[in-house]
Amino acid sequence: MSKNEGAVLAVVVATGISSVVTQLLTIREFLAQFQGNEFVIALIFFNWLILGGIGTLLSRVITKRSFGGTWRPTVNRLAWLSLILAALTPLQILAIRFFKNFFFTHGVSVGFYPTLAYSFSLIMPYGLLLGFVLPYSLYVIRNETPDYPGARLYITDNLGDVVGGALFSFVLVFLLSPLKAVFAANLPLLIAAWRLFPARQRLQPGVICGLGFTLVLLAAGIYWERASLKPQTGKSAYYNESRYGRITVHQDHEQFTLFVDGSPLFSNQNIVRAEEAIHYPMAQLSANARPQRILLISAQAGMLTQLQKYHPQQADYVELDPEVARIQFHYGLLQKIPGLNIIHQDGRAYLSQQAHSRSGHKPLYDAIIINLPEPETFQMNRFFTDRFFQLAKRHLAPDGIVSFSMSGFDNYLAEPQRQKISSLYNTAAAYFKHILLLPGQEIIFLCRNQPLNTDIPELLEQKGITTEYIRSYYYGNLTTDRIQYLNGLIDPDTPVNRDLSPYLMRLMFSQWFAKFGTSPVSFIIALAVLLTFYLMRISKEEFVLFTTGAMTMGSEILVIFAFQIFFGYIYFQIGIIVTLFLSGLLPGAWIGDRLKRQGQFVLVLTDILLILFLGIFIVAVLFGGDRLPPAAFLGFGFMTALVCGCQFPAALCLRGDDNPAASRAFSADLLGAAMGALCVSAVLIPYLGLVWTTVVLISIKIVSLTVIGSKSWIK
Amino acid sequence: MDKINRRQFICCSAALLATPLSAQAFWPFSDKNAIASGATDIQGEIFKGDAPETLWKWSREGYHYGKLERKRVMCALCPNRCLLSPGDRSVCRSRVNIDGKLYSLAYGNPCSANVDPVEKKPLYHFKPRAKVFSIAATGCNFRCLNCQNWEISQVRPEDVRHYDLFPAQVVAETQRTGSEAIAYTYSEAVTFFEYMIDTARLSRKQGIDNLLISNGYINRKPLLELCKVLDGANINLKSFDDAIYRKLNGGRLEPVLNTFKTLHAQGVHFEMTNLLVPGYVDNEDMAKRMCQWILKNLGPNYPLHFLRFFPKYKLNRLPPTPISTLVRFRELAINEGIRYVYLGNVHTHEGNNTYCHNCKELLIERQGYFIPVFNMNGNRCKFCKTVIPGVWRDEKKL
Repeated sequence: MSKNEGAVLAVVVATGISSVVTQLLTIREFLAQFQGNEFVIALIFFNWLILGGIGTLLSRVITKRSFGGTWRPTVNRLAWLSLILAALTPLQILAIRFFKNFFFTHGVSVGFYPTLAYSFSLIMPYGLLLGFVLPYSLYVIRNETPDYPGARLYITDNLGDVVGGALFSFVLVFLLSPLKAVFAANLPLLIAAWRLFPARQRLQPGVICGLGFTLVLLAAGIYWERASLKPQTGKSAYYNESRYGRITVHQDHEQFTLFVDGSPLFSNQNIVRAEEAIHYPMAQLSANARPQRILLISAQAGMLTQLQKYHPQQADYVELDPEVARIQFHYGLLQKIPGLNIIHQDGRAYLSQQAHSRSGHKPLYDAIIINLPEPETFQMNRFFTDRFFQLAKRHLAPDGIVSFSMSGFDNYLAEPQRQKISSLYNTAAAYFKHILLLPGQEIIFLCRNQPLNTDIPELLEQKGITTEYIRSYYYGNLTTDRIQYLNGLIDPDTPVNRDLSPYLMRLMFSQWFAKFGTSPVSFIIALAVLLTFYLMRISKEEFVLFTTGAMTMGSEILVIFAFQIFFGYIYFQIGIIVTLFLSGLLPGAWIGDRLKRQGQFVLVLTDILLILFLGIFIVAVLFGGDRLPPAAFLGFGFMTALVCGCQFPAALCLRGDDNPAASRAFSADLLGAAMGALCVSAVLIPYLGLVWTTVVLISIKIVSLTVIGSKSWIK
Repeated sequence: MDKINRRQFICCSAALLATPLSAQAFWPFSDKNAIASGATDIQGEIFKGDAPETLWKWSREGYHYGKLERKRVMCALCPNRCLLSPGDRSVCRSRVNIDGKLYSLAYGNPCSANVDPVEKKPLYHFKPRAKVFSIAATGCNFRCLNCQNWEISQVRPEDVRHYDLFPAQVVAETQRTGSEAIAYTYSEAVTFFEYMIDTARLSRKQGIDNLLISNGYINRKPLLELCKVLDGANINLKSFDDAIYRKLNGGRLEPVLNTFKTLHAQGVHFEMTNLLVPGYVDNEDMAKRMCQWILKNLGPNYPLHFLRFFPKYKLNRLPPTPISTLVRFRELAINEGIRYVYLGNVHTHEGNNTYCHNCKELLIERQGYFIPVFNMNGNRCKFCKTVIPGVWRDEKKL
């Protein structure tokens, strides 16, 4: 090991830790500031990776020209760059918060292009520098050890990523707020960067000041944490970052509003939603018998109080995020009622487990009331699919009822929304004989195998239940004409929403674009042009790495999505999947490094293996599903990443492991990952479904295999 | 150890100075102002070359526009005064220039038609319990970020499913449904002016009332024409601040105030709504100025509704308005001298009821759209016989 190699590698590991923590925090921050649909998540991922890729490419250009020696790789400069990188992290998080209210009107949600431009601009300084630093580190080592293998640095970087990912997912997210986590995750980088300075410089005023300044900035981030989240009206009564997102309670006089990721979910003064969600389904149950068991999948303010009017023997309230439930009770949004049983679990996983309970006792519910947000993400879509309705029906008493809601309309049902409710109607219709849609602030779906009655006030009258809103407003707002108009708009030809083919998400995207009056077409065209230009300029080895980057990211998303479908959203297990994906690359790269002399063979073999794995994945998804153990998905993730990891050293060796080749290889991997993240999440899964998305990934790898075998490649 | 040199000294000093300076840069965190954030004006723009090639069945030449050179036209319906070259479409999306003539594409093709209680408009001083046949064609001259009808207000007439209801059929439908009035509502009625006024003229002959539910963004001349057939109106005074109008609605305040003055001068009964958007419109000083303007220019008799805001459309990351804020604003307006001040979107609150401004007795109790208590004789208080402003049924018809 050369003199500085250890110190540089330490910086690379520390940068990996810091960058993954920063990446996860940045995504969370954007989700908290913008609308968190799957498109936005994919867009931010895409920006992050693409900027990293560009930064990597720039490292080659800049260091090649050197600009009079300014950018010549030295340990000193790498140390300074690392300090700047650390200093940028709190600034990036704070900038996302601050400039949101500078560029966008306070309180508005933002459309596609502003989100793209805003996230790209704010991630740019950090993303470019991060991408720049990795190959730059390699050049620094190669100053002393010219034949130092690029793959070793790739492995080291992955090691940092694995540690960073695990550290955040299993430790920091539970213990620290974002800017505290930034501080903690950057301490190793500060130390490593300081150690990178030559011993005689470490105590020089310039270095101490630079280090001190970075430390002060990181610490100042903690100081500004709450101030930067201060609401513009009222005050913040509560703030916490749960593992699932940002939870704040906003207080304005006597009103408490629960915000999750920046969206107001429930307020203690909104009786309308509570009455509609509870009484519309509950009124349908027999007036003569007291309901035995009710299941609430998530709950909104006031719902339990309304439910108590029926005196159910048992009310199971399932809430994924324990913090959301705790806060609702704490601030009086929900009141505890007799027979209440609070379950902190994914609602679908809960029902699934009940079905497979060892005791054989399957609880039957008189009503299953679902109070979840719209299916804008893969996680939410699972509650509105054919398999979910089938599962719900299995847990329903013969005259039981299932209800859920979609965003309402005042006077006109726009086409994307018509398709959305038609798809839901058709999906539920396979399992329930009677489905009734009631218009209002929300469109309430009532699904049952017994007839349904639209005269809710009359039904409530028979039960002796009093309400505020329904009693006074129902007949005026829900006229027979309006109910008939809504139910008459159902299009029986609209496809159903399936787990493996989330048609609803496609409609949600359409609705989102319609709301902001934009279309992604210009973006897609621009991206296609740039991509074509890029692909025409890369070598075949880089092309393989590009496809592998896309494939790694794409299959990671596929596995997470499939896992959620079959086993529910289980935080720790999904964290393990991500960690395994990252850690699979490590031994893969090590093996690849060992076998790099047979580069061509390794690339061919690994591509064949990847195609095989993806084929097995299709079979597993179609015929295995939840009958497979969760470990099968974890194993698939690990093995796929391992094989992908093999390819980097092999491709690098084939390409000639010099500095330009290394930086181009790093960037091909990152740019491929960027394309994989965007295309798989936002386009392929919603539009083609899980199976066909996997087929697309297979075909990409077949193309890659063909390219490896070809003698020439367009340059 | 090496001595510090000049370059290092300068670098260190700069680094140390940068710390408080960067801190300074973030001071706005503690002094935020919603009105200062984002775009200052979201006024809509005309759509160049977006007009259809040919007219359709639901077209009608505009009643208020001017012809200019090179076949250009200027729409004179609202203060936007869209200047359209051939093939262009107006800000409201409903009006196009085809070969030098301005056409409305929203005539006889309402996308929404419902029977509503008159209280839903809201109109509390207009024939309580009346059923109102409510219609809307697409289009709006504003760009409100919290629009609750954006699916019809921010689209073109060609983009929606619609009914085929020409004026005579609207009148027939109104009669068939037993409605007492027609409300031009939901989207922005001014943008389908020709359809509205033709229907109103026809319906008036049949003894059916006409109600305008609007943002009041209309020029004086068409408004005066409309006043001849209007029986009541609810005009949304979105705020009393031009900057907020531009920022949240894409319109201007002054023309709306002029609309109130015109309606007042023409003797049309109207009611005002003011949506209290947190951080923007829930400003007591602004509310006081608004009340003072109303008293000075319109008098104390026109009902004022303070509406509760709920997150909607693009403005969906704000909390709802606290009920206490609405109550406080109601008290403020009453104290300023406005006689009839109501709360909207708040259920079972006395702010929904009508109390006689003279004897303070309860005249009309409202539980949503139900009216369990009604203590009026014709247009007078049952207790003190004071005339209550508004449009009321004759005593015999009650």
